[in-house]
Amino acid sequence: MNERVFIEPQPSAETEAFWHAAGEGRFLVKRCTACGKAHWYPRSHCPFCASADTVWEEASGEGVIYSYSVMRRAKPPYVMAYVTLAEGPTMMTNIVDCDPDGLSIGDAVTLRFVTTAEGAALPMFAPKAAAGVVDPAEERP
Amino acid sequence: MSKSQLSKALSGVAAIAGVGHSDWIADYAAVRGGAKPHDSFGYGAIALKRALEDAGIDKSEIDGLVSGPPTAHERMCEVLGIDPSWGAQADAMMGIQAAAMAIHAGMCEVVALVYGNDQRSAAVNYGGSNAAGGNAFLSYIYHAPWGFTSQGALYAIMLRRFMHDTGFTEADMGQVAVAQRLHASLNPHAIMQKRVTIEDYLATNYVTEPLHLLDYCLINDGGVAFIMMSAERARRGKRKPAVIHGIGRHDLSREATSLAPRLTNFYRPAQAKVAEQVFNMAGVGPKDMSCLQIYDSFSVHIPLALEGYGYCGYGEAAKFLRETGISLERGLPVNTSGGHLSESYMQGWNHQVEAVRQIRGECGDRQVPDCRYVHYSSDVAGKALSIIYGH
Repeated sequence: MNERVFIEPQPSAETEAFWHAAGEGRFLVKRCTACGKAHWYPRSHCPFCASADTVWEEASGEGVIYSYSVMRRAKPPYVMAYVTLAEGPTMMTNIVDCDPDGLSIGDAVTLRFVTTAEGAALPMFAPKAAAGVVDPAEERP
Repeated sequence: MSKSQLSKALSGVAAIAGVGHSDWIADYAAVRGGAKPHDSFGYGAIALKRALEDAGIDKSEIDGLVSGPPTAHERMCEVLGIDPSWGAQADAMMGIQAAAMAIHAGMCEVVALVYGNDQRSAAVNYGGSNAAGGNAFLSYIYHAPWGFTSQGALYAIMLRRFMHDTGFTEADMGQVAVAQRLHASLNPHAIMQKRVTIEDYLATNYVTEPLHLLDYCLINDGGVAFIMMSAERARRGKRKPAVIHGIGRHDLSREATSLAPRLTNFYRPAQAKVAEQVFNMAGVGPKDMSCLQIYDSFSVHIPLALEGYGYCGYGEAAKFLRETGISLERGLPVNTSGGHLSESYMQGWNHQVEAVRQIRGECGDRQVPDCRYVHYSSDVAGKALSIIYGH
């Protein structure tokens, strides 16, 4: 099996603090202090209320699989997933350390940093052993 | 905006009076053989010449020009030898809307809309960290470190959720590829004319699970052009015009990079607004449509549009595909040319050609009998857009 090669992240002014913290093992999300909502990806201006009063906070690292797809043609194959974070936003990420054929929408997952060739830390997720967690997206009207 | 306030001002104002396109089949074969028949401008020029002949007008009558996204507007004007009084750079759907408004406002009288794309011979990349469109479509660049590098990955993740929410199956999904290939087999311009069965569909490998190879559109070189003018002027012309009775548009760009509009709502909020706008403007409803032309970069656009525009309820696309059907053999025909999956991937431009030909009644073996209204729908690149063509 070939070893997976990651495209290196390119930090911008908006995301530099995020990647720096990730390198230290901390997973940050941005929250707007004007409207109270967290968002993903990290931005300087809140996408909900356009306020510039956004602050970093350390996320719990807990989430639920909203949906996923196994990239069958990749060498080696990997699992792309859209994961709803406990803080509210849903992010594009990967599910690692898993049996791709054993995953389901609604599965609870937990943070797992994966390091690239150049040392950047990518926040990914792995299945939690415990099942039966309610998918917050299921409760949307 | 409430229903009563929506403008109907553009209904019946403009029409497509001529269509033309390059030789998709011959160019596809040439490019696969290593040749490069034309660049994007060249494909556009071929298409325009044929559209002018189809409309029966001279190039000197053009006073407005819309250029498609891959080709710089100023350069396209130069290549075509046209100095217009009005112009825009736009995709097919926004270009038709803009041209109808320009004609209505009296900014110009005859608009040529021209598209050329050498995407296959130029090996254009629609995903990954060097994605076409750059910051306009930040998602592929932003998510590239996680390996989210293709449109297929996006639509696969969406389809998985749609299946989970509604009970839609892979066999239901395969109905689209099968129906559109049947249509393509009746279309002498279609690149992929060999019919396929559900068994063929399910037997092909996953590319991005649960999407199979036949859920993906073609990538080919080519060009398309239309001639638009007032419906009144078009009615005096050489061809039966395809009159634009309704146009609607609604954007969903606020969470574009995080992909929430596509993945969590399937574009339903935008489609609901556009449905109200376009059907109200045209004074018709889903039950009045003779056939649909739906932008199909991936097959999954079809069930979403059927639900989003009210051809069936939310979560009922599988039932619609099974009980009503979307082929020329039964039900409500969708993508009667074969669409992007099987005819040609001209980014919505070839769907307008097919809509015009169906309205004219010149589609031969794939003609929809007594074709009165055609609904074109797209929901890509941050917006939902619809056009209703009729007589």
